[in-house]
Amino acid sequence: MTFAASRPYRRFMPFSLVDFLQALAAGILVGGAYALMCVGLGIIFGAMRVINFAQGDFLMLGMYAAFYLATGAGLSVFFGASAGPIVAAFLAGPIVFALGWLLHRFIVARVTGAGAAQIEGAGAYGQILVTLGISLVLQNGGLIVFGSAPTGIRTPLSRSSWELGEVLLNQGRCVSFVVAVGLAGAVYLFLGHTRQGKGLRAAADNSQAALYMGIDVDKAHRLAWSLGVGITAVAGGLLAGSQSFQPYTGFDFVIVMYTGVVLGGLGSILGAFWGGLVIGIVQQMSTLVLPYQLQNTAIFVVFLLIIFLRPQGMFGRLSERT
Amino acid sequence: MTLQPTVKRQLWVILGLAVAVLALAALLRSDYFELVLTQVLLWAVLSLAWNILCGYSGYFSFGHAVFWGLGAYTVALGMLNWNLTPWLTIPLGAIVGGLAGALIGFPSFRLRGHYFALAMLAYPLATLYVFQWLGYQEIPLPMKREAPYLYMQFSDPRAYVALALGLLVISLLISLKIENSRFGMSLFAIKQNEPAAEAAGIDTWRWKMLALMLSGALAAMAGGLYAVVLLVVTPEAVFGMLVSAQALILALFGGVGSLWGPVIGAAVLVPLAEGLNAKLGNVLPGIQGVVYGIAIIVIILRAPEGVYWRLRDKWSRRQPQPLAPPLPVSAVASLPRERPEPAEGDLLVLRDVGISFGGLRALDAIDLAVPRGGLYGIIGPNGAGKTTLFNVVNGFLAPERGAISFAGESIVGLRPSQVCRRGVGRTFQVVRAFPRMTVLENVTVGAFVGAADDAAARRMAAVALDRVGLSPRANAVAGGLTTRELRLMELARALAPQPQLILLDETLAGLGHDDLDGILGAIRQVRTDGVTVVIIEHTMQAMVQLVDHFTVLDHGRLIASGTPETVVRHPDVIEAYLGKKWAQQVTEVAK
Amino acid sequence: MSKLTRRTVTRGLALSAGALAFPTIGRAQAKSVKIAMIVPLSGPWARQGQLERAAAEMALEDINGQGGIKALGGAKLELVVADAGDSTEKAKNAAQRLLSDQPDLAGGFGAWLSSFTLAVTEVTERAQLPWLTLSYSDAITNRGFKFVFQTSPTADHQAAETLPTALKLAEAATGKRPKTIGIIQDNTASPVSFAKPLRDGGLTKLGLTTVVDQIFTPPLSDATPLIEKVRSGKPDFLLLLTSAMPDCKLVLEKLDEFKLSHGKVPLVGNGAPFGSPELLKTIGPELLEGLLFSVANWPMKGQEEFIERYKKHTGEPFLTQDGLCGYGHTQILKAAIESAGTADKLKVAAAIRTMNLTSGPAAQCFPGPIKFDDKGRRVDVPMIFAQWQKSVPLTVYPTELALAKPFWPSV
Repeated sequence: MTFAASRPYRRFMPFSLVDFLQALAAGILVGGAYALMCVGLGIIFGAMRVINFAQGDFLMLGMYAAFYLATGAGLSVFFGASAGPIVAAFLAGPIVFALGWLLHRFIVARVTGAGAAQIEGAGAYGQILVTLGISLVLQNGGLIVFGSAPTGIRTPLSRSSWELGEVLLNQGRCVSFVVAVGLAGAVYLFLGHTRQGKGLRAAADNSQAALYMGIDVDKAHRLAWSLGVGITAVAGGLLAGSQSFQPYTGFDFVIVMYTGVVLGGLGSILGAFWGGLVIGIVQQMSTLVLPYQLQNTAIFVVFLLIIFLRPQGMFGRLSERT
Repeated sequence: MTLQPTVKRQLWVILGLAVAVLALAALLRSDYFELVLTQVLLWAVLSLAWNILCGYSGYFSFGHAVFWGLGAYTVALGMLNWNLTPWLTIPLGAIVGGLAGALIGFPSFRLRGHYFALAMLAYPLATLYVFQWLGYQEIPLPMKREAPYLYMQFSDPRAYVALALGLLVISLLISLKIENSRFGMSLFAIKQNEPAAEAAGIDTWRWKMLALMLSGALAAMAGGLYAVVLLVVTPEAVFGMLVSAQALILALFGGVGSLWGPVIGAAVLVPLAEGLNAKLGNVLPGIQGVVYGIAIIVIILRAPEGVYWRLRDKWSRRQPQPLAPPLPVSAVASLPRERPEPAEGDLLVLRDVGISFGGLRALDAIDLAVPRGGLYGIIGPNGAGKTTLFNVVNGFLAPERGAISFAGESIVGLRPSQVCRRGVGRTFQVVRAFPRMTVLENVTVGAFVGAADDAAARRMAAVALDRVGLSPRANAVAGGLTTRELRLMELARALAPQPQLILLDETLAGLGHDDLDGILGAIRQVRTDGVTVVIIEHTMQAMVQLVDHFTVLDHGRLIASGTPETVVRHPDVIEAYLGKKWAQQVTEVAK
Repeated sequence: MSKLTRRTVTRGLALSAGALAFPTIGRAQAKSVKIAMIVPLSGPWARQGQLERAAAEMALEDINGQGGIKALGGAKLELVVADAGDSTEKAKNAAQRLLSDQPDLAGGFGAWLSSFTLAVTEVTERAQLPWLTLSYSDAITNRGFKFVFQTSPTADHQAAETLPTALKLAEAATGKRPKTIGIIQDNTASPVSFAKPLRDGGLTKLGLTTVVDQIFTPPLSDATPLIEKVRSGKPDFLLLLTSAMPDCKLVLEKLDEFKLSHGKVPLVGNGAPFGSPELLKTIGPELLEGLLFSVANWPMKGQEEFIERYKKHTGEPFLTQDGLCGYGHTQILKAAIESAGTADKLKVAAAIRTMNLTSGPAAQCFPGPIKFDDKGRRVDVPMIFAQWQKSVPLTVYPTELALAKPFWPSV
């Protein structure tokens, strides 16, 4: 019986170099998926200042959309078992984008942005409840439509790895990481260099002024919302090949997304990306020194530390108007 | 946030509610309905507790489950490990909750808005994992067959209804007291505009901490009773997101920031959810969640601030606004001055004050001396540093260099509320009234800092209103005021604690000609009453008629100082406002 | 979506409309005995509840089709179902509601998740309603209750039975007895109860030293650091106590990725999720082939015809613990009612306490005789080992109950 060559277990050191590197690699790879879903949330939060409790459920929808595209629509057959799920993940984005568009048009717009300016607190309360209501509908509707059995996309990538010395890099997660970074980069460019993107940022900074400048704030918000949920859905689709999920899975990721976005700095896409990445790294590397059970507590501790020491997060801006 | 129903009426309603609940409990036939009723009451308590902090002060918390859970575990572990009765451990839980509130508040109140809310999110979830790690996955409350009543184990579920009702009544009374006291008004002020509240003399940190600790204590007691009712405590059940969300949902649905909102929310949503579970749970699993979600969405779209406010608005629109009789002039004049008489000399002195933001010199070598009783104008183009100057005097910013003294004593390093307490009042550029409160209530908030008790504050507020000429509108709801009236109200609020000095920040901005005259008259009246005024503006025309003395700022530096006539002709001033070409023209004309 | 789901949806929608329109649906038959079932039908554990329910309904068909409760003149057995939902509060409410709506229940079973079972049994105990459950965390039978009957062996017993047998199998396959062990588990109550006696000296008694001991909070995000510890710790033997299928998948795939699967590290899992059809669907048969796991209850020899019937009735690829217990609990209650000769819950409870079933449809569903001690626990119950063989997990041990022979996956 032989194992892959590895350093012998040392009793005087809590972990070996390989353990360290392996945890770091895992953290980065997992962090890539987190980073993308945080970018999605970051767009919404940054542009609309809305706390979207349903973000995790859009993630879940992305997972299911990718699943049905890969298996039901035959993408895994057409593109192969390895590439199929990736293509399916991509295509999950536009599907959830469209759903998000409709939801915003008919429901969310009524309690956010320009439509809510007249209400006390600018509709902040209504927003929270509406997104909570949407979350309930998506989760439970998902149960009715998709069934309760946990499911996942089968792909050979989920259990193959590339070897970098003694460190094993999971292929499925590596590919997802590359896709996530690419997509996040594309979004960043979109927001920075296109007219719609700039309009989004203007509407985020100062919706009153943006209105006067002729920017359709309502449309900008709709774009932000739909883009945000769509991006997060792609992140879900990418995860669908690595883990199994059921209609209530989204719940598990809401915390990750929020801590990541706040960590990175509200209003900053770059920040959201790095925030998600940091969360992933902290989550996996904390297991080197802390009991595994406290993985997520470690996230919260880091989160709290950062917002106490630097409330604007890594890349955010502090703005207080007297 | 209520004025029309008096406190007495509210007390009657609370009594009526208690009686109704007891009657309901007596009439209901099944243990199941009693259980649901108990849960309605407990969740209402949690939601009221949440409301005390979040509804009143605007500091949203997504983490109240931490208090609920601590209370529940205090009871459960107390009973399991040390045989302590819940009669003891529920009040003990209140102490635990209060301490937790203090512990959490210390670091967390440095944050605002969304950051605060999300930080609060972290506490219960972090605690959840810790409790799982500690091995407290499932703590059943041991069944005490020998002395059940000693351990709050009643066979008649109506006993639990009574206990939960007791907690609810306590919470309602506490909330009622808060709403009608300085505590509550301060929280409302914080919600509306925290810097303004701070500048008005309200010790915001103290009130927020108090609110959080009280909120935590109540939530923990409710959590403790919940543990007694449920008989099993697991980390997910008491620290989970669903608990925090429940506190929020009920309050927001029912009407945030109101006494009855959480009660309405609990009374509607808890039975609704349970009823849906009951009827549809085994028929088409999941449909109950869909229906519940849709119900929430539909109702919130129609009443975004909650059911209570929607109903109140509908009802109050039918009632005419009663006008307050103006205070007779003699009564006003004879009201004793509540502050000691000031001494002579310059009231506010700045020497060589400077501050930079990054590389930008926002203020540079500012020297200023405002004599007592003067009407002093500070003027300058946009970005000159005028508001920064006020912020430095007021305590919002600390100067890097220089000395500021008020009535002979240095005020550098004091918090804005402390500066206010010394006798400096301030208005802000953006007036944010509390739209649902009356004008009188708005102004009373400003009077707290100078008043010994709430009644004195109200008196001072009435006097201030009279001084600015807004007495007829004292009982009007502030949301319906015109711009002119808002400015006057803001002025009255700054005047209410009878300061010696008042800083007016762009009070005249955006007013039409007629309105302007009104405000100018009010300001002159203020000075006649003996208050020193320093006013910032950037339009020359209005100020020229008003002030004794002008100081002109440009790019953070003093470029001219003197009487209006001399300053207006000063070439640097003209250049700053109109540009070099104009300045040359004027000097040529003057020659 | 399986045929079952679509059928359920249309039926469900129609019934929902009916349920909302009319306060009660389905008037009780004149001569019928009611038993209760409280399981999660919505929320994250809905799948397990639905499996139990389908099997229980199948048991009803069998019982009523064969003449109902003979001791009560052929009275029909009726099942009243409530959804335990996704929280202990919902589970408790379901229990209280059921008891309030149905004052003449003879007994009941549920609620799958140990914390739900705890909440439900607090209600049923006070109502003196006999209650069966497959949950086995320590707290369930530690409360001094008289009306709770646990059909799964206690965690202590499971641990005591699992390890020695597993070690024997490992020794038979590899030629040497393992000296070091690695434990990977989640921190829910059942695995914690299982592992406690092991850590409290059980392992040293078996001559084992722990070189890897990891407890995680479910759901697992990524198994890499976990399996890295296995790779560097190099235990002779690995014990997996993951009680949720998604975590099983992550751990098993990661072991494969790190080239530690297929017998490289002898491994035994514990718990029904290791044998779930969902695991097969998400991992695939090759990785699962030869995977060994211990479980409180699994289809045994003599049930072949029953298994086929179950598959046809529910559309499931094979029978699992949830189905077996759903059917079995219903049959136990029926047997108790028959034995008591009445639907009176106190007498039914007494009948269960004195029960000692070794044959019949109830006994066939559980390994060992159906006999409960004064704490409501079953005694002298063999632990079942199942192994994945050609995409079906089959009981391989003890031999008299086995449906197949065990083999060791070749390196």
